[in-house]
Amino acid sequence: MMSSHLTWMIIRNNNAYLLKKRNIKKPFSTEPNNLNNLSSYRYSGLIHKKSVGVVAAPDNKGFTVVYKKSRSSYKPAKSVVKRTMKAGPRRSLYKLKRLLRANKYRTDLTKFLCIAGSFTQSQCSVEVTEATTN
Amino acid sequence: MSLSAARPLISIYNDKNEPLGTTVALPAVFKAPIRPDIVNFVHDNMAKNHRQPYSVNKDAGHQTSAESWGTGRAVARIPRVRGGGTHRSGQGAFGNMCRGGRMFAPTKPWRRWHRRININQKRYALVSAIAASGVPALVMSKGHLIQDIPELPLVVDDKVQEYSKTKQAVVFLRRIKAWADIQKVYKSRRFRAGKGKMRNRRRIQRRGPLVIYGQDQGLTKAFRNIPGVDLINVSKLNLLKLAPGGHVGRFVIWTQSAFSKLDELFGSWRKTSKLKKGYNLPMPKMANTDLTRLLKAEEIRSVLRAPIKQKRSVKKLNPLTNTRAMLRLNPYAAVLKRKAILTSLQSRRKRQELLAKKRGITLEPTAAEARARKLQEQRRAAIQKAKAEKAKKPKVEKEEKPTPGKEGKKAKTPAKGDKTPVKGAKAPGKGGKAPAKGAKAPGKGGKAPAKGGKAAAKEAKVLGKEAKAPAKEAKAPAKEAKAPAKEAKAPAKEAKAPAKEGKAPAEETKKVAEGSPKK
Repeated sequence: MMSSHLTWMIIRNNNAYLLKKRNIKKPFSTEPNNLNNLSSYRYSGLIHKKSVGVVAAPDNKGFTVVYKKSRSSYKPAKSVVKRTMKAGPRRSLYKLKRLLRANKYRTDLTKFLCIAGSFTQSQCSVEVTEATTN
Repeated sequence: MSLSAARPLISIYNDKNEPLGTTVALPAVFKAPIRPDIVNFVHDNMAKNHRQPYSVNKDAGHQTSAESWGTGRAVARIPRVRGGGTHRSGQGAFGNMCRGGRMFAPTKPWRRWHRRININQKRYALVSAIAASGVPALVMSKGHLIQDIPELPLVVDDKVQEYSKTKQAVVFLRRIKAWADIQKVYKSRRFRAGKGKMRNRRRIQRRGPLVIYGQDQGLTKAFRNIPGVDLINVSKLNLLKLAPGGHVGRFVIWTQSAFSKLDELFGSWRKTSKLKKGYNLPMPKMANTDLTRLLKAEEIRSVLRAPIKQKRSVKKLNPLTNTRAMLRLNPYAAVLKRKAILTSLQSRRKRQELLAKKRGITLEPTAAEARARKLQEQRRAAIQKAKAEKAKKPKVEKEEKPTPGKEGKKAKTPAKGDKTPVKGAKAPGKGGKAPAKGAKAPGKGGKAPAKGGKAAAKEAKVLGKEAKAPAKEAKAPAKEAKAPAKEAKAPAKEAKAPAKEGKAPAEETKKVAEGSPKK
């Protein structure tokens, strides 16, 4: 019913997650499923039927991909799917890529998912430094 | 958004957050055009309607009999207070610039405080606000925490209308997962910034969910003490509650009777409203607002002319500094460069060797040399082992044929990337494989017994049991192989490959023992 374009036009200058900072022209967004935290049509996590987000996994081992099921957009409780990737950095990135490519899910966002990889990178580097000190 | 659009069915939930099974068709209101501009305008004007007049005292500043002293007295010409004996005498009066004078344009109580708004505009705004409350994106953008609610619009059984205790109301909100929104209200409680504090507007908080009911059977009293919750009767919908702040998208909880009344109240485009005389929902400007689909639609594309593609100027890259540009022009340059690098390395190495000779030092072998040597040694060892085991067990000639080719292939693939860990994995892998299979060749030679057929399968069963013991050996070194593989910066696939090789024989012997054909 509500196309993403329409909702964007309503929301773009006016929403709870909008973040404007001095001297920076493009506003940021604090939405949970926004991959690069910019407030823009493409990266918005709320508007589209399909959206992807990356969160650190609960026990800090790897990350969780959170994505929306396109069918249940009117049922917020059911529309979210979580998949935890626990493997090391490169492997889980590969898995992520595969997950999205195979389903042709928001292929315009794949670049920004590499930033998700930085999650796991930073986690891995912590483990490595611990090992070396031990 | 189209007028003929199908009306989806909304399920009704009972107070325990289970779908009742009954469904209602979405009232047409929810498909009305959402016009935030109209909502804002109407909200602005409506909000002015509950203002109380303020003004200054009408006598303020005029309760003096001051008169100007005129010219010639070396003072400014403002009216001054008459008489003597006080500070006040001789002071200026009446002017807005004077201390104690009246203000400029003293505020009057007959200022036009209230605004009237056209009924149709009011209804349009209301309808837009209702429609917006059914869009999860808009409600979430407004800041309401609705991540866990079952459906939007949220329709609840009429039992809720009979609640009389706040406790019941709280439990209900918790079950429906609306409590997160109310917790947000709790957290947002703060003091107002500014003078409002001393004007009886001390505390402020966020807005929570809005409960719209059909009939109040105690509901209001149950819910009213919960912070943030507002309650309205369907027949008296209020834009100020549906779009607080002039922004659409409030979180609304409907009761079943309220929801069903919406169609009567607002009509659908095919039928006028029953309760509002002659009223029909506003017509949207665009029936289909999905731009991406429109732009790709055949009906539109077939009428467009071909796009004029502008050739963009490509930045020129200097081939002398940019290797890829060079390769584009002259692919042979890669060969030349490589040769140059290798020869320089070699000549450097030679010089070092000469020096070493002179000084009588033995140099460490280069990485490449070391690798090559290791490879050779391992190969030699593997071959000898294989020979030794072949000598022990009987040969089956058929199965030997396909193997050498595959062996050769396998030998090549690990040649890429970091060789040492891979080779390390291969050696024990081979060692593990050989006793298990004997005549059956290592690695992908596992396919061969499948070709061999039943006879092979039988043999496999016999060998399979024996295979388990050495297979364990195969596993142990395979694990070792994994460790260095991780450290090595080989890509993940290749790191897995040797591990697979190490595991493969163990897995394959088991599978072959089961008689399954191919991997």
